[in-house]
Amino acid sequence: MKKLSYIIPIVLTFIFLALAKTPSIILIKNATIIPVTSPEIKNGCLLIKNGKIEAIGKKIEAPPGAKIIDASGKYVYPGFIDGFTHLGLIEISAIPSTVDVQELGKFNPELKVAWAINPHSVHFATSRVNGTTTALVAPRGGLFPGLSALVKMNGWTFEEMVLKEVATSVINFPVIPSRRRGRAPESEKEREKEVSKLMKELKNYLKEARRYMELKEIAESNPEISPPETNLKYEALIPVLKGELPVIITVNKAKDIERAIEFVKKEKLKAIFRGCLQGFKIANKIKEANIPVIIGSLYTNPAEPEDGYDAPFRNVVKLAEAGIIFCFSSGGNPAIAKDLTYHAARAVAFGLPHEKAIKALTINPAKIFGVDNRIGSLETGKDADLFICTGDPLDIRTEITNLFINGKEIDLSNWWTDLEKKWKKRPIK
Amino acid sequence: MRRKILLFFIFLISLNLTSLYAQDILLLKNGNIITISGENIMGGDILIKNGKIARIGKNLKAPSKAKVIDLKGKWVMPGIIDSHSHIAIEGGVNEMGDLIIAEVDVKDVINPEDINIWYALTGGVTTIHTMHGSGNPIGGRGIVLKLRWGKSAEEMIFKGAPRTIKWALGENPKQTNFSRQGKPRYPRTRMGVEASIRKIFEEAKDYMKKWEEYKKALKKRKKGPLPLPPRKDYRLEVIADILKGKYWVHCHGYQSEEMVSIMKLCHEYGVKLVSFEHGLEGYRITNELVKYGVAVSTFADSWAYKWEAYHTMPHSTALMVKRGVLVALNSDSAERMRRLYHEAAKTIRFGDLSEIEALKTITINPAKILGIDKWVGTIEVGKDADLAIFSKHPLDPYTICEMTIIDGQIYFDRAKYLEEMKKKEKEAKKKEEKGKKI
Repeated sequence: MKKLSYIIPIVLTFIFLALAKTPSIILIKNATIIPVTSPEIKNGCLLIKNGKIEAIGKKIEAPPGAKIIDASGKYVYPGFIDGFTHLGLIEISAIPSTVDVQELGKFNPELKVAWAINPHSVHFATSRVNGTTTALVAPRGGLFPGLSALVKMNGWTFEEMVLKEVATSVINFPVIPSRRRGRAPESEKEREKEVSKLMKELKNYLKEARRYMELKEIAESNPEISPPETNLKYEALIPVLKGELPVIITVNKAKDIERAIEFVKKEKLKAIFRGCLQGFKIANKIKEANIPVIIGSLYTNPAEPEDGYDAPFRNVVKLAEAGIIFCFSSGGNPAIAKDLTYHAARAVAFGLPHEKAIKALTINPAKIFGVDNRIGSLETGKDADLFICTGDPLDIRTEITNLFINGKEIDLSNWWTDLEKKWKKRPIK
Repeated sequence: MRRKILLFFIFLISLNLTSLYAQDILLLKNGNIITISGENIMGGDILIKNGKIARIGKNLKAPSKAKVIDLKGKWVMPGIIDSHSHIAIEGGVNEMGDLIIAEVDVKDVINPEDINIWYALTGGVTTIHTMHGSGNPIGGRGIVLKLRWGKSAEEMIFKGAPRTIKWALGENPKQTNFSRQGKPRYPRTRMGVEASIRKIFEEAKDYMKKWEEYKKALKKRKKGPLPLPPRKDYRLEVIADILKGKYWVHCHGYQSEEMVSIMKLCHEYGVKLVSFEHGLEGYRITNELVKYGVAVSTFADSWAYKWEAYHTMPHSTALMVKRGVLVALNSDSAERMRRLYHEAAKTIRFGDLSEIEALKTITINPAKILGIDKWVGTIEVGKDADLAIFSKHPLDPYTICEMTIIDGQIYFDRAKYLEEMKKKEKEAKKKEEKGKKI
């Protein structure tokens, strides 16, 4: 009897695993396919094999053993990419024990969010409901908050999720706070003084890191000179200083964007700007500097009332017209990361072409983060990260019926649907 | 900088010049009218006289002297009503100096120049309830405003709207998430919140009794010295009025259990508890909410910012509506306020509300919660001409608010705004070129 109590669960587990194992070959039929990098295919097929897109076309025969999904009247899009979030780092923002997004101190360029991401945060599942399959997870705080990671929105462990363990570095660029924000001093002069003090610290730190890098290089080519003591913080900055690892810099006001452009040029950094609410004022300069932009949450009011009430949306249109490569992001808060598509929709409402909005959710972020060989469009050989939906994916009312990450169909139930299921059962008195 | 802001205000107010010359008769033609109270009228007209809706129908004839606007198939809905906001308040919204502060009143600190009023208008909002914060079990009194941008504080007040008072339960009055500087303040538990409300009720009852006794003694007195009146207490005066049902209570609360407790307490004392603000766990107690007749003014999908906001879902609104609870979507933020129509669309995706039920959560439902449904919340003859005009159906993802009308006056006109912006841009360019020449 005692033995049986061991065996039964083991057998059950095996049966469950066998049932749960989704077929590695899936054929989606009769769908309108939007590959993003090539024209739309009406009544098309898409074949998934071993986690990759095996074929796309008008007609594909189902290989033996393939699971067939009839998507008549539905659409297939590549999975969306969220350009900036704190997913997996914040569960409930007011409870410190569930928050791992910000370290103490100003200088933490070596911190990897990869260490801290909780793959079982409820927010991953709730953020998938609008088609997000990949997210850039970034830290915050200080001047150098650490290293962001690019993760797929599914996995038992962090290792299974990671697409790029180190995607970018982040610099918290000192900006002039707007009128009397928080503890900022009242006079503009004093506020500027505070900023220039921080800028000095930032530049000095980079200077020290550069010296460290140079000493190391000298020591490498000259055996008589001993290398400097290992400094993990400076080590983490070497790829940044070499312009190999991009660095995300958040700037919104035109003045700050201009300062950041100068800074990046001088320090020879490969920058990605984030925010750029007043980018429309100097779109040409951003274009000239060839810096891509991560648009922040468009649930925002203008940076200045003078910009006009619709400035945040008009801004995206202007950046697109200037030919700047940009992507959307949910902006940070993981609890509302599902809203990614709604931000894009708001920009479309104010004039951004729909096609450009879709690109800014797919191929553009893939290019910005250097993973366009893997994700960002529906092409043969790319990862099978995609979803099937009932209509325009930017429309709040559209349902996503199936979602795949690495060719695996993901269960779309989540914290919310579980709660709904439970509480629908309470009898009405 | 100050001057720049001032100039900008003048610019914004000049946008509303249309509202300065009286348009006693306005005819809106060829709009798709979402009346809320009945069927939609496709390609219909609305005749507005003296700020009220005079006629609704098709092919209405323009009276002489009427200003006529051809809407060319744009969508018209009742002006959006936000039953929970904190804009247009001068200074802070939380009087934290004491536990119960019923004596303070938002009405005394209305700021009619808050730029957020203008932002709200650009999102089709015409009426707001602006309230005290949620730091106190019984907080200050709130006020209902019509967003008559450019007018004085007094002129913005919604005449006839019942007076309201803010209460709060849970983590905010407990100060769970506040940085603990100095001594912690009582209460630190939900027990303490309930006890502090009960205590002040009993004090107010004694206070009322003292005044009644005094008045009786005054009547009885034939000779001898005048009886001494009790000491006037403005806080207890308001609490006494709450007990008489004169104030409509809007109670901030998240967790289902404390919401049930406070409904019982209000029932016991005869307090007019109108709504729970936020009420993120309201979906769990729909039976109780219906039984006590309490509404919920909530978010479409904001959650997980604290423990008491974790056990919820965007489907909550729909579930409550389907079970007979009166539900409104509110903003609680100057930013969310200008996209309440966008928030309403979320209740269709999450929980499957119908279009009309979704739109009710930002029109007639908040009007009922605020006790102003006689005047606003639907498009009906005789009601105030408060309207929001959209380029597409207001729940369409690509819709834009084109015009906002209050009492038949245009307070936001996107076409005019775009014209002004173009002018500004041209002037800026001229200035720049001039600068280059020098």
